[in-house]
Amino acid sequence: MRDVHNRDGDGHKGLSRRQWLGMLGVSGAAGLAGCLGGDGEGDATTTGGDGDDGTTEDQGIDQDEEVEELPEVSGTYDTVTSASFETLNPLYNTESGAGTAIGRALDMGYTFDSNNEYFPLLYDMESENGKVWTFTVREGLEFSDPYGEVTADSFVYQIQELHQSDWANTADTQPWAGVTVEKTGDYEFTAELQSASLLWPESYDPLLYPIPKDLVQPYVEEEDVEGLQQDEELLNLEFTGNLGAFVLDEWERSAGTTYSRNENYYMQDVEDAPDLFEGAPYFEGASISVVEEQSSRLGALETGEADAAGIPPERFQEFQEKDSVSVNKVPQPYNQIISVNMRDNGWNAGPGNLFTYKEFRQGMACAISKEDLIEGVYRGLADTHYTWQPRFSRFYPGDDSLETYGVGDLYGSEVARSRVQEALDASEYDYRFDGDTLVNPSGDQVTLDIYHSAGQETSRLTCEFIAQELGDNLGIDVQVEAIDGVKFSNEYWSAEVPDEPVEAEDVDGEWAVAPSNPGPRSVHAEEDWDMSMVFGLNTYPLNPLTASVFFDGPDTFYNPVGYYPEFDAEALWQEAREATSQDALQEVLNEIFVELNREQPYIMMLFSDDLVGYNPDLLGPIENFQNGWDLPTWHFEE
Amino acid sequence: MGLSRYIAMRVVWAVVVSLVIATVTFLLLSFAPNPAIQEAATQAALEGGDPAEAKERVKELRGLDEPLHVRYVDFLRNVYTFNLGWSDMRSQPVTEALTEALFYTAQYSIPWTVLTMILGPLVGLYSAANMYSWRDHAATGFAFIGYALPNFFFAIILLLLFGVWLEWIPVIYNTDVGVFTWANVKQLILPVFVLVTGGIAGTMRVSRNESAEYLNADFMKTAKAKGVSPARAYLYHVMRPTLVPLSTTLVGQLLAIFIGSSLLVEVVFGIPGLGRLTYQAVVAQDTNLVLGSTMIFTFIAVVGNLLEDLVFTVLDPRINFDDR
Repeated sequence: MRDVHNRDGDGHKGLSRRQWLGMLGVSGAAGLAGCLGGDGEGDATTTGGDGDDGTTEDQGIDQDEEVEELPEVSGTYDTVTSASFETLNPLYNTESGAGTAIGRALDMGYTFDSNNEYFPLLYDMESENGKVWTFTVREGLEFSDPYGEVTADSFVYQIQELHQSDWANTADTQPWAGVTVEKTGDYEFTAELQSASLLWPESYDPLLYPIPKDLVQPYVEEEDVEGLQQDEELLNLEFTGNLGAFVLDEWERSAGTTYSRNENYYMQDVEDAPDLFEGAPYFEGASISVVEEQSSRLGALETGEADAAGIPPERFQEFQEKDSVSVNKVPQPYNQIISVNMRDNGWNAGPGNLFTYKEFRQGMACAISKEDLIEGVYRGLADTHYTWQPRFSRFYPGDDSLETYGVGDLYGSEVARSRVQEALDASEYDYRFDGDTLVNPSGDQVTLDIYHSAGQETSRLTCEFIAQELGDNLGIDVQVEAIDGVKFSNEYWSAEVPDEPVEAEDVDGEWAVAPSNPGPRSVHAEEDWDMSMVFGLNTYPLNPLTASVFFDGPDTFYNPVGYYPEFDAEALWQEAREATSQDALQEVLNEIFVELNREQPYIMMLFSDDLVGYNPDLLGPIENFQNGWDLPTWHFEE
Repeated sequence: MGLSRYIAMRVVWAVVVSLVIATVTFLLLSFAPNPAIQEAATQAALEGGDPAEAKERVKELRGLDEPLHVRYVDFLRNVYTFNLGWSDMRSQPVTEALTEALFYTAQYSIPWTVLTMILGPLVGLYSAANMYSWRDHAATGFAFIGYALPNFFFAIILLLLFGVWLEWIPVIYNTDVGVFTWANVKQLILPVFVLVTGGIAGTMRVSRNESAEYLNADFMKTAKAKGVSPARAYLYHVMRPTLVPLSTTLVGQLLAIFIGSSLLVEVVFGIPGLGRLTYQAVVAQDTNLVLGSTMIFTFIAVVGNLLEDLVFTVLDPRINFDDR
């Protein structure tokens, strides 16, 4: 078993595959709408709650309300997605889209409701100190014949023999590394972490699918990874019994999946669940169709062939005016940021690198009007971004604690120049303002490039707006360049990992070499670049501790821009990880996010909304980041 | 050289050609960077592991740790025994993936191929019979509009018009309907129409020009003088000689009848056919699937060329193989 937590003697730096896959977002709301694929539900691994009660919209269901009469079962819930599924084997899936397809027929351990509260599905989790967690498996959970009942043994065996094995290489290998699991009863087991983690459930690391022990046992005995990956029962979800709202009828590889209603869904008998679960699900069947072409997906939504589909922002207005579609704006945690390259292949306007001065980055943030950008480019469908948490996160420190760069008094030429002047004074090179123009030591205007994803219209417009603002308010000539995302990732963003870690003179410790942080600023990707909006990043509003991967010192795992914190980031993150109460955690995270606001390691611009169109007769969808948590209770208006 | 010797030589040549194509495909894929390996290395680094170790692990899992020549021999053995392996991209055997995709491609490929082969020469003949009249211009215009409009764009426009606005046809392709059902006809009308209009222009123009050559030939004058009906005169006396130069195109099309897939049309109409399968396999670098689909196209092309040459002798007995 590979124990990454022991490896560096520090239980924080590992990043699970699920978290890692959820870390990067393609810049531009259109891209995100495409990624959403139109299934209309949030991705449980990357989404977070917004703290609303989730019942403010016409289509939302108030789950606290007493139900007099259960809705009738009618129709089918048909959605579309843009990409086919690589596998539906729950042990090996790492894709969000396939996760949705599996989720129709097989619940995972728990979810979070619209108030962002832990909602137990297959098991409840409790801990007094965040170090030892007790899992209580719900009784009455049944696999299909001949596999019998789901018990603690089903999970313990899965964790110990598969996720913690050195041969199976499952998708959950990393999250369970170093966790000591012990069965303590027929329906109870414990998991002891190496160090306390109050937000362990929020990290989604302890999230498991139920897998029959007898099904996987032959593969375990033979250590047959190929057999396990290719097992037909796992691939076709033939073991799901009463464990999902629907039963998978067929998986047609390039066409999608079809399901029929599961009459025996276990949630019908759960007493402490909202009343509506009693008759769930309320659709006779469901389907997910793979439709690669966006206009075809939107056409299907318009004609009613699909009940949900993602909508690109440029067509938001058009669909909002249609009676046949109801459009929801769903907040999401991927940000739009300007990545400024502080490595030696950045700042190609002259000697030195002004991006390395936080005052310069603050000046840039002050030079760009966030509100104008949101109104002009994003049609108002976005929220301002000041620190590494969205406003709906409970860890957001509040506007009063933050410098609201780019808004109000902190927007404009004067305030931007004053900050930049501080950076110029600190620089050893003779950069200066010559009238309205920022010039380099040779007297030439500072010229920088900014990259955006080719074909992303919103991203292009954003970059052009930024270029205009930096020109008007700071006298910088910004050249806007389009680039293919994969090319940018391979040749500009990620670097070749050196065989041996490179030591930096001004940084203590050894570098954890990774393509996204190959070493000190002198180690960098092959191509030069100044600024980029190609990638947005996840801000992890449910479990902000995960965001430490971006800011936990210069040698953190993910640092393509070469950011060196000017506050004691490592100590603060460590303090947050070791917090033993929610209040202490809240306090230290607030401190971190205030510091990040001041430092602007990436110039934070905005959070755009996901736009999802629904069948207007559908009751259930909410404008909340946990949209879809109660899907089995969704139904058509009678 | 007699016909039988010629055929034998061509068959041997076909084996050589298929071997060369299989080898080139194998080498290209072997030397292309594999995203799965890169991803594993990145992931290992993020987890605090050893990227080099992770790379080796993935190579071992995928059988890429063997020397190139060993993998090549394995590959050839598998190809010629039709054991094409497992598709990682679809989690199913490659043969099953290809069979499934072929099933959906054939459903639109057969009608569009047959219609193109029939309509192309006929429209050309019609144009020739009415040369320089408005009918000729209309037929030529029809063929060229279909040819000039990009299939992808034309398909979206038609889908918008007949699927979204008029709601005459479904927007989402349904794999559950039977092959010979009205529902299937409805969902395949547009893909077939788009491909036929895009495909007949070339055949139509050749047919028109060739037909024009024979319209006033002596044998046509004789036929007319003997009172042969216009239909028989055009279809038998003009069409038959016209088909000789056309046979190159037509036989080629006929051979591709089951695999005449169009990626773009499949993408727009959501048909899970061979075009999408091949494209996705290349993008995902699913080696087994790419090689499997490449071999199908190679086999059809090689056999097709052989049959095409043989068809010449049937259509024009003057052609022989003595000089070859």
